[in-house]
Amino acid sequence: MRTSYVWIPLLIAAIAVPLGFYYVDWSKSGEGAGLYSRDWSPEAIFAYWNPDEFYKSVESVVGEFSGEQCVECHQAVTPGVVNDWRKSGHSKPANNQAVVYCSDCHGNNHEDLHLPTPDVCGTCHNVQHDQFTDEKRYGFPSHSLALERAMDAKHFADKPKAEVTACVQCHSVASKCDSCHTRHVFSAAEARRPEACITCHSGPPHPDDETYFHSKHGQLYLAEGENWDWSKPLSKGNYPAPTCAYCHMDNGKHQVADKAIWKFGLKQVNPLTSGNQIRRKQWVELCGDCHEKDWSAEQLRQLDAERKLSWSKLYEAEAVLKDLRSEKLMQPSAKQRPPYPGDSPDAFLQYQRIGFFEGQASAFYNVSPIERDYFEMWYFDNLKSYKGAAHGDASFVDEGQAAMDASLETIKRNAERLRSAGEGKLDKDTEGNIWLEGEYTEYNRDHN
Amino acid sequence: MKNYGAIQSVFFCIASLAFGGFSIAADLSVSGVFNNEQCIHCHEKTEGDLIESWRKSSHAKSEKLVDCVACHGTEHESAATKARQDQVCVDCHGGAKDPVVHSYSSSKHGALMRIGAGQEDWNKSLSMANYRVPGCAYCHMHAGEHDVTTSVRRDIMQESEAVQDEIRAVCQDCHSPRYITRLLENGEAMLEIARKKVREADSLIQQAENEFSEQQLLPAKQQRLKMQQHLINVSLGAGHQSPDYQWWHGQPALDGDLLRIKGFISELPMND
Repeated sequence: MRTSYVWIPLLIAAIAVPLGFYYVDWSKSGEGAGLYSRDWSPEAIFAYWNPDEFYKSVESVVGEFSGEQCVECHQAVTPGVVNDWRKSGHSKPANNQAVVYCSDCHGNNHEDLHLPTPDVCGTCHNVQHDQFTDEKRYGFPSHSLALERAMDAKHFADKPKAEVTACVQCHSVASKCDSCHTRHVFSAAEARRPEACITCHSGPPHPDDETYFHSKHGQLYLAEGENWDWSKPLSKGNYPAPTCAYCHMDNGKHQVADKAIWKFGLKQVNPLTSGNQIRRKQWVELCGDCHEKDWSAEQLRQLDAERKLSWSKLYEAEAVLKDLRSEKLMQPSAKQRPPYPGDSPDAFLQYQRIGFFEGQASAFYNVSPIERDYFEMWYFDNLKSYKGAAHGDASFVDEGQAAMDASLETIKRNAERLRSAGEGKLDKDTEGNIWLEGEYTEYNRDHN
Repeated sequence: MKNYGAIQSVFFCIASLAFGGFSIAADLSVSGVFNNEQCIHCHEKTEGDLIESWRKSSHAKSEKLVDCVACHGTEHESAATKARQDQVCVDCHGGAKDPVVHSYSSSKHGALMRIGAGQEDWNKSLSMANYRVPGCAYCHMHAGEHDVTTSVRRDIMQESEAVQDEIRAVCQDCHSPRYITRLLENGEAMLEIARKKVREADSLIQQAENEFSEQQLLPAKQQRLKMQQHLINVSLGAGHQSPDYQWWHGQPALDGDLLRIKGFISELPMND
């Protein structure tokens, strides 16, 4: 009798697992891409940021062309492309290898051209391509998962697509090698220099550019970098100071995320897990190209301390917000405003998302001012301090910490104000509710 | 502008033949130090169109006159090469940290210029993809167009088809026609979304003005002022192709402004 019960969970699993796979396949089969592909359709420009999914060839020119013919025509049509190619290794390969023409990567048939994805580059550059795709196993954040994770973000699915084109320009790093090795020179030397990274690694949530350039490493680079020999590999003794790639892609390794300990600083991590102990050893060894081991290990410990301090402040702010939430004092409440991206407006359970695990990353619009204050504290101030500490720029640590103190103060003050106003006192009728109406708010509701 | 382009092309061909390749915009036979009046005196005869274009430009009409020597310096030998490089523009347009400059210098064009400027031959004309990436003048004073207000400029999608085509032609030195069209369309759509956010805020404040005093609306209005720069950032981000200005300095910043304005207004009765 009892043994027969075993069949119940087995039967449920036998139905549920294939159903699960089927559901994920179904949800990815819409007009858009990713988990919410059925909720949105792409803008035409997405063809260039996600060519695998959306690129369709121009059909204005008919015929099949040889590489030489491409070059001849495009010298007149788009001379910059041909000039670039002439400077590249593709046009003058070493060791008697064949010239790599336009058609080798884009195809011969002008009505059926394609934009080269990493797989196309990988047919020749297989070592780098294998490393690049292997990066996925180190999880996100990483270059190779950047595009799919961006398109799976709830705010990406929710917002008008012409607006979130801004996101895919950087997140397209997963779909095209020319994010770092710009077309049509495709230079390794170029990608070794910090400027190759700054178009994406800049701005409030990841001021990698500013913190690096302010650091001693960056100052040395700015003073002398022009004269360094960038044809050399990123290994010991070749460069007087490290660049982004020297540390994060040592020896040209394309798994950028492999040594990531604190990730992007968006959630608290235990930096001393057995996996992270290995990464710490790798860092100390790498820093050992120039620095003593004890000194390097101490830098990592200081970063641990910075993270711990920052998270103590962030958790304090989160607690204030969660208290307000449970006292139903947030204005507007989750029901008085457009739903959290992806939620149905009529859903029974609507609540404010506070903190990383509840989906804070998508809670920067259609939220109350106090939640936005926390978002900025978490995403801007916190990361300013983190990047300052990681890249050796003490001024950014001080500024980030001071900004977090100020944000925490504001959040506490505003929480008190809401509390003294008392529950329900700020409630407005949903009719004529300014949070649900307005030109952009309505456009956002209707366009994704 | 078109006439000038044709004349310049003829000049370019003759110069190329005579000097064996490079465009010689500056006559190398002249050397020495000159002031603005002297520049105009000579170049009005040799390149009257150029001086005429400059006279129509915002540079010539600005309160702080941007004359020949402001960009070209006083040395004739380095006059052209100096003015083609970004630094002369940056010095006046707010410096390295100004959004106008920073949105470019953090773009791919700008980043590549930062590492490649030293390898460029600045004697070459600002046309025909003579440079790996465009600097300020390559787009905004393309082929030596001295009326900066008629070259590549903001709000181009509001211009006539003919003007748009001229601008597309600049990008097409390097990029395919369809790609350019898509970028321009997307830039305009992105900017229109940003304008929607600003208009939503304006309409809220306008309605609130019927009920509340100027003093009560002050915080909302101060927040509205911030939207102006954030809107410009979206425009700069789209124009200079800086994702960071489109996004973090642009759209989500406007989202924050809008919800804070709503916050200020919705809490007003509490202060009564």
